[in-house]
Amino acid sequence: MKSTTIALILAVLIGAIALTQSAFTVDQTEKAIVIQLGRPVSDKALGPGLHFKLPLVQNVVYFDARILDFDAKPEEITTTDKKYMNVDSYSKWKIIDPLTFYTKVRTIQGAQARLDDIVRSQLRVALGRYTLIEVVSHKRQEIMEAVTTRSKELLLPYGIEVVDVRIKRTDLPAENARAIFGRMKAERERQAKQYRSEGREASAKIKAQADKERSIILADADKKSKIVRGEGDALATKIYADALGQSPEFYSFTRSLEAYTKGFKDNSRFILTPKSPFLQYMQ
Amino acid sequence: MNWDWDKLQKQQQGRPGGGKPPSFDDFQEQFDKFKGFKLPGWKLILPLIIVLWIASGFYIVEPDEVGVVKQFGEFNRITTAGPNYHIPYPVESVVTPKVTQIRRIEFGFRSTGRARSQAFQQGMSREVPEEALMLTGDENIVSVQFIVQYMIKDAKEYLFNVYDPTKTIVHAGEAAMREIIGKGKIDDALTTGKQEIQVQTRDLMQEILDSYQTGISIVAVQMQNVHPPEQVVDAFKDVASAREDKSRFINEAEAYQRDILPKARGEASRIINAAQAYKESKVRQAEGEASRFLAVLKEYNKAKDITRRRLYLEAMEGILQNPEIEKLIMSDEALKKSIPYLPLGQLPRQNAVAPKAKQ
Repeated sequence: MKSTTIALILAVLIGAIALTQSAFTVDQTEKAIVIQLGRPVSDKALGPGLHFKLPLVQNVVYFDARILDFDAKPEEITTTDKKYMNVDSYSKWKIIDPLTFYTKVRTIQGAQARLDDIVRSQLRVALGRYTLIEVVSHKRQEIMEAVTTRSKELLLPYGIEVVDVRIKRTDLPAENARAIFGRMKAERERQAKQYRSEGREASAKIKAQADKERSIILADADKKSKIVRGEGDALATKIYADALGQSPEFYSFTRSLEAYTKGFKDNSRFILTPKSPFLQYMQ
Repeated sequence: MNWDWDKLQKQQQGRPGGGKPPSFDDFQEQFDKFKGFKLPGWKLILPLIIVLWIASGFYIVEPDEVGVVKQFGEFNRITTAGPNYHIPYPVESVVTPKVTQIRRIEFGFRSTGRARSQAFQQGMSREVPEEALMLTGDENIVSVQFIVQYMIKDAKEYLFNVYDPTKTIVHAGEAAMREIIGKGKIDDALTTGKQEIQVQTRDLMQEILDSYQTGISIVAVQMQNVHPPEQVVDAFKDVASAREDKSRFINEAEAYQRDILPKARGEASRIINAAQAYKESKVRQAEGEASRFLAVLKEYNKAKDITRRRLYLEAMEGILQNPEIEKLIMSDEALKKSIPYLPLGQLPRQNAVAPKAKQ
């Protein structure tokens, strides 16, 4: 009885050890291949789940099946209008054929070296066809699509799928940036000047208009004043004429006397003859 | 936010009701113990261990989480909030990412003392020029600081499709914002176009992330601080002050206008009133004079001769009573005999007049 118990325990133990040595799981984020003496056993990679292999002679190599990053170093690139720019790009890629990948590049580092070469040269070629402003502005999408497509083709033989190559930053070397700053400054200064001179222009117009209106107002007043004064003079003349016309002779007489009174003041010398009516009673 | 499976499993083992799941090593140990020491009551211990192992399959999914269950490493099912059960280790395992939490990534600046992706916090921030400076479509350079808020929309994609989701969002954000800024003009970014840029960037980021199947939803892109580069900021400020100068000049001119025109109108009314006053006084004066004349005339007509004489004499009297006037009486003969010599030089202002009243 005792020996059977021990045998049972042994059997369970051996079974358990065999199980741990042959069963293996592949995570949802991975793919795996089984290697026997350095060669892949099947030509198909294993997806996630529970798998079995022969203990001891076979071992498992896991590959990350997720989209991986490759962040390239910024590259100085010459555009077709002979301008330099630093282009910083990133690539998203994944291992789609672990078997090919394992035989051709083996590791992630190896893959990144390949990516670096290919993406870099493709970017150079593509960017060299456009001007700086096209790269920055409206041809960006086009360039990225072209680079992605070409890199995809070139990296497929390594079991790598390039999902996307994207330009992150397009910066200018210091001296170009300085030139741009200079231009920006000049543009803004021009704008500021324009605003100020527009302001002065508008101000001068308003003032001139105001001065004109003032002159017109005063001239109108002056005209009206003259008319009114003239009316006054005319009316007065008419009143005088109406009254004095009743006896011009008497008017002449009284007015002459008044004039003499006012006219002969100081420093006058009167020579009167005795015949003067004034002296008639002195004889 | 890289999922570290070991850590997760540790977390899980730390869950209430989890208990320590037994491993094969534990079993072997147990067996060694049975063999070596013949522990009393091992028949009790073994079922207890099995019960504990079964109990370790219970787990709670919080309201803001989903449970993602893997069976032998393969994705199996999504579980929702509440208590759930999974077949214990090593068959199934579970992770519970928070799917309603909105996370935040900063671009072009860092809130002081915080990592790049942290919960929102007000406070000081520091610019990161190499991230913030970008080229615009009209060949200008502008500094853009913005944040991206995102959440997990598909836990399965988020957990299994992309190696580093956060880095992927950072990449997509930088690329998208630069692409949109590169299409526009600097003034759009600085002033009125912000809203449009935010919307376009968000859409482009979403498109990029969906193409990678990241399971991430971009909630919002918010531009925090957009300004011209340090080197040219003064010139930009001067434009603003020039704009103010312009309106100041115009205001001053309008003030001048509002000042002189009423004055002119006042002056005009003064002139016109003076003219009217002149007219009225002239007319009244004439009327006065006329009526005086007519009154005198009326009396004169009654006694012409005597009135004439009276008026004449009064006038002469008035003239001659001035002591300053020289009077000289000469007979006609003497006048005729005297040489008409007029020493005008001696008497600068002398009039020799012999008035003869008409009879």
